[in-house]
Amino acid sequence: MTTTATPIQPAPGATAPAYNPKSESTTAKRAKSAIFHAAALVLTCVVLYPAVWMVASAFKPNSEIGGQNTSLWSNNFSFDNFATAMEGIGGVSTLQFFTNSLILAIGAVVGTILSASVSAYAFARIKFPGRSLFFGMMIATLLLPFHVVIIPQYIIFQQLGLVDTYVPLLIGKFLAGDAFFVFLMVQFMRNLPAELDEAARIDGAGHVRIFTSIMLPLMKPALISTSIFSFIWSWNDFLGPLLYLNTPDKYPLPLALRLFVDQTQSSDYGAMIAMSVLALLPVLIFFLIFQRYIVEGVSTQGLKG
Amino acid sequence: MTQSPTLSRRRGHSGTALPRKSRQRGADARAGYTFLLPWLLGFIALTVGPMISSLYLSFTNYNLFEPPKWIGFDNYATLFQDERFLQSVGVTLSYVVFGTPLKLAAALAVAMLLNSKRRGQGFYRSAFYAPSLIGASVSIAIVWKAMFGDSGPVDQGLSFFGINIGGWVGNPAMTMPMMILLTVWQFGAPMVIFLAGLKQIPGELYEAASMDGAGPVRKFFNITWPMLSPVIFFNLLMETIHAFQIFASAYIISNGDGGPAGSTLFYTLYLYLRGFSDFRMGYASAMAWLLVIVVGIITLIFFRTSKSWVHYSGDAK
Amino acid sequence: MINRRHFLTTVAIGTASAAALAACGNGSSSSGQTGSADNPVTINYTWWGNDDRAERTRKAIALFESKNPDIKVNGNFTDFAGYWQKRATEAAGGGLPDVMQWDLSYLRDYGQRNQLLDLGTVKIDTSAFEKSLLPSGQIKGKTYGIPTSTNAFAVYYDPAKLASLGIAEPTGKWTWSEFQAFLKEVGDKGNGTLYGSTDFTGVWWQFNIWLRQKNIQAFNSDGKLGFSKDDLKTWWNLNAKLRGTQAIVPEDRVTQLKPKSPFGSNVSAAEVTWDNFMAGYLADSGAKQLKLVPVPSDDPNNLGLFLKPSMLMVASAKTKFKDAAARFIDFMVNDPEVGQIFKTSRGVPASKTQRDGTTFDGADKLVVDYEKSIEQYLKDAPEPPIVGFGTLEASFGRIASDLNYGKLTVDGAVDAWFKEAEDLIKQNA
Repeated sequence: MTTTATPIQPAPGATAPAYNPKSESTTAKRAKSAIFHAAALVLTCVVLYPAVWMVASAFKPNSEIGGQNTSLWSNNFSFDNFATAMEGIGGVSTLQFFTNSLILAIGAVVGTILSASVSAYAFARIKFPGRSLFFGMMIATLLLPFHVVIIPQYIIFQQLGLVDTYVPLLIGKFLAGDAFFVFLMVQFMRNLPAELDEAARIDGAGHVRIFTSIMLPLMKPALISTSIFSFIWSWNDFLGPLLYLNTPDKYPLPLALRLFVDQTQSSDYGAMIAMSVLALLPVLIFFLIFQRYIVEGVSTQGLKG
Repeated sequence: MTQSPTLSRRRGHSGTALPRKSRQRGADARAGYTFLLPWLLGFIALTVGPMISSLYLSFTNYNLFEPPKWIGFDNYATLFQDERFLQSVGVTLSYVVFGTPLKLAAALAVAMLLNSKRRGQGFYRSAFYAPSLIGASVSIAIVWKAMFGDSGPVDQGLSFFGINIGGWVGNPAMTMPMMILLTVWQFGAPMVIFLAGLKQIPGELYEAASMDGAGPVRKFFNITWPMLSPVIFFNLLMETIHAFQIFASAYIISNGDGGPAGSTLFYTLYLYLRGFSDFRMGYASAMAWLLVIVVGIITLIFFRTSKSWVHYSGDAK
Repeated sequence: MINRRHFLTTVAIGTASAAALAACGNGSSSSGQTGSADNPVTINYTWWGNDDRAERTRKAIALFESKNPDIKVNGNFTDFAGYWQKRATEAAGGGLPDVMQWDLSYLRDYGQRNQLLDLGTVKIDTSAFEKSLLPSGQIKGKTYGIPTSTNAFAVYYDPAKLASLGIAEPTGKWTWSEFQAFLKEVGDKGNGTLYGSTDFTGVWWQFNIWLRQKNIQAFNSDGKLGFSKDDLKTWWNLNAKLRGTQAIVPEDRVTQLKPKSPFGSNVSAAEVTWDNFMAGYLADSGAKQLKLVPVPSDDPNNLGLFLKPSMLMVASAKTKFKDAAARFIDFMVNDPEVGQIFKTSRGVPASKTQRDGTTFDGADKLVVDYEKSIEQYLKDAPEPPIVGFGTLEASFGRIASDLNYGKLTVDGAVDAWFKEAEDLIKQNA
């Protein structure tokens, strides 16, 4: 750091957790708060309108969805689409699709958190020969469009007899297969002050202890972000399950969803949107629960020089 | 790099005993590879092979059903005479150049807005993240087309201000802005990462700056930007790479054909059509590797220039 | 075959697993493994389609299993687009399912490249099929697909909409210019709220039928184009005066309405396409009734019409259970009870046994009656289209769309399509 950022070092022992500008008068605070909420609410309305429209459409009859229909309101709102969506497909219940999605998503979160954090620690905090080479290779894996590796990868799993199991969908998560998450954690870990592990080392701590008792707790925001993303990406993944699963009992939601809009037959857009809305609920709940940890997690007591 | 006095003292201290240092180096190497093991295993078992085989296929004529035939650089040479390919390059470039900065600016601005202790932040955060959830659903095609359709909300809103564009969806000149707005709308992921990054900045820094009489602008450039730079760098690089590879939303919105009039024929969409609809996987692989080279160069430039503006607190060495 | 797999596998998982390649050789017994009631064999069957088809197929499979206790059928389904990506990946990996629902457009791509079983070598009863239909599933004397059902080209119209405009319903005995005058009348009277139809010259199969009316074959037997640039120029010029008028739905509307069609969205009064889209149009538009009449022709004795397999049943060339696969296909195409389960949701049942065992009513009856009414005009179905036909058909529609957007002139559009077609034919030669 060459410029102005470093001069302002945290005062030893300081505990103030958040940005707290000069003391202000109560009225000024109130005015500021009102402006904030007004701005945030306007933005919320703009950003959420499509979502509201989507939810409203889940209650409309099929002939009023798509095509030239753009209005939010309908005179024919009903729960019919949800009834269709809950009927299941080809003898598999909708609940089964949800359960399968949940298994895959939780597996993805656990695998990604475990493997990406460990690998990221190696890249970010340990000096070893070949580190930059491997780091470069990891970044390179992000650059190749996935479509051209689909077939070779399929052949691997097919030869191993793992098609129609969840292994091809989960193994990559447990082996830090998504470089996005490793890189994300590397960036966060590299930004934690070096004094932390230096001090721990002097106290005789090894890498395992530094990783588990210093890095991981401080990484909470990054870990939570990773959990949220890996959950949602797994929840929405269509291609992996499409290629690797053959038994409808094992299908997750995205596969089921697309069946409502087969373009070679009649399409039930209402049921598709209704199921999309239902499918959104678990991810939304997941986000609602975990989002607060992003902003609560880190305090600065670990940063004492 | 300026270093805090405590740090220099510590380093000097540990540097005095040389044998210990080399022992430490050996231990570090062992630990490094142990910690890297999950990634290394996955890389060797699942990634390297398929990558090399796709590189090989890019020099062949391969239709998925019959053995690939070696044709040297033919695929690469043909690319530059393929009008649809050139069109897809143009489409993708304009998307990357306009979409990525806009999305990141929106994400950073909203993250900063939401990074204060106020009531209702949880609600706002969830509300702003919701589009990213919906954006990945197949239903987005119907929703987005209704928003930008003839006499849809966007059309009506603009008409209110006297701008009459009509429907964007069927107008080849307006589909790119529509696709860009679709990605900007889904600023949730970089927003969450920015928020997590902002939370890592010690509040004391702002306090101290306030005491020095710094205003919000100075605080942003002197504290937020440098302290957040690793995360900004991450988001910039990842969003750029993702923008080059945009596939799912383009596929869903255009019904898989890149229309109207090729205006949403993104690079990977064309690659996919070549590989899986036309069964020309060799050609698709050549496209893929050309993209790797181009984006690889851009990534390299990003990493080189990052040294001048990205600051890692943990790298104070 | 071994070479490619050997290479890919070696690179992908290392030489250690190369030994596993032996497994890719085919089982040599002619009928494949057979099962018994106590120890049934399990075959995989896969199809594309919506939730409705999944339910009907489940019933059909249950019926088959109850009649054939020595065979179990594992069903697997996806949507149409995903279906073909999955099949391509499986074919490359050497693992296509035993029995598959198939589309005519892809029959050559897979059949000619040894991915499909020659069904002439197994026992399937085709005596109840029209002799003119079976060649659609055959390539160079080998039978790769058995049609489950048929569809035919037709002009759809919405009688209620015509009545509201005071336009008489068409009889289906019309020339091309009479048909165009009809579209123009709808457009003029509809005055921006209702258009005639989409630009029918953008539909490959309509072009194909027009060629047949002029006794031109679209593709000749050695896989080349059977028509000239001038033919296509004439065809695309046919609507030159109508494009941009209210007779034809503006292209930006067409794009905006996707994935629905203008006809299904109540934007046009007529549409030219396959007769088995009836159920879809009814569901999309909410219309009470839609009717079908034959396509126009300048030669009243040659409408160029034919029955096309709306779907086929095929088996994987590598299936270990040829006998079981054949019995399942035979059951799916011939059994009258299966006809009763599917009705016309796959198209009109192709086998007479199955068709006669099925009762049709409502919209189903309309489609069946239409195909009966054109019987006297039907000619032999064309041979399966050339390799890569799916691509050609898509680019035909795409280039016609560019034409309607005014991005291309007719001459430019013809050149663009021929360039792609010739490139593709050369590629697959």
